[in-house]
Amino acid sequence: MDLPHVLRWLEQSPLGVFTRGLGVWSYGIINLAHILGIVMLFGSILLLDLRLLGVWRSIPLAALSRPTTTLAMAGFLVAAVSGVPMLAVKAGDYAGNPFLFIKFPAIALALVNVWLVHRSPAWQAHAMRELAPPERHRLALGASLSLVFWLTAITAGRMIGYW
Amino acid sequence: MNRAVFVAASFLIATPALAHHGWGGQEEQVTALTGTVVQGVNMSGPHATMKIKVDNDVWDLTLAPPARAARAGLKTGLIPVGATVTVRGNRNLDHSRHEMKTIYIRQGVNEYHVYPDRE
Repeated sequence: MDLPHVLRWLEQSPLGVFTRGLGVWSYGIINLAHILGIVMLFGSILLLDLRLLGVWRSIPLAALSRPTTTLAMAGFLVAAVSGVPMLAVKAGDYAGNPFLFIKFPAIALALVNVWLVHRSPAWQAHAMRELAPPERHRLALGASLSLVFWLTAITAGRMIGYW
Repeated sequence: MNRAVFVAASFLIATPALAHHGWGGQEEQVTALTGTVVQGVNMSGPHATMKIKVDNDVWDLTLAPPARAARAGLKTGLIPVGATVTVRGNRNLDHSRHEMKTIYIRQGVNEYHVYPDRE
């Protein structure tokens, strides 16, 4: 199945039908949830990534890592759960939208990066002890990639509506 | 400094109004079309839409956001498929796309002023 087929299937799915029937304010409200999800996700990520890049060294990394990763995960869930019906409403209309082809691969890369950072020895040790310079560099690299991927995803996502 | 913040803030406030629902990709001049409805008004977001057939081309009519389209009197199922309608709006600058941001719809005696300030 190619993408236009998947999108048309999504549009005709029960979710698409249900979302279209929710009334004239529903898209705006779902869109609001999507923005709040992105705020939680990217706000937390920005804090953590800047810390990993060496800003605010006086704040212990371990003190920042737990609230930011928890909020980021919650924000991702909110954004994903609200994003699917936003697409489903008129999924077929987005078939030719090139920003879709930037946004979703960027999200995939961002998630792979999250997975790689979290399984790195540096991340696994950060709550237990001071990190050695090479470990800090490993996490700084992860933070840079994180900012690039998430900003690409958010920018492409915003541009979908302007195509 | 304060002035810079104020200027930046005004842009942030002003940009959404200018940008989304942007008419930047549309022609200045208003075009009128008469055709047959092939897909009735779809009141789901981000914009209400409708499709009409004019000669052999199917036109995508982009209407206002659903709440505004509703205030103009439009409803799902109100204009049936097969009905003849006359619409006015600004067509896409790219003439290979049969797309129009629609200002006004008339079906028989019923008129819907979607963007009265643009008429």
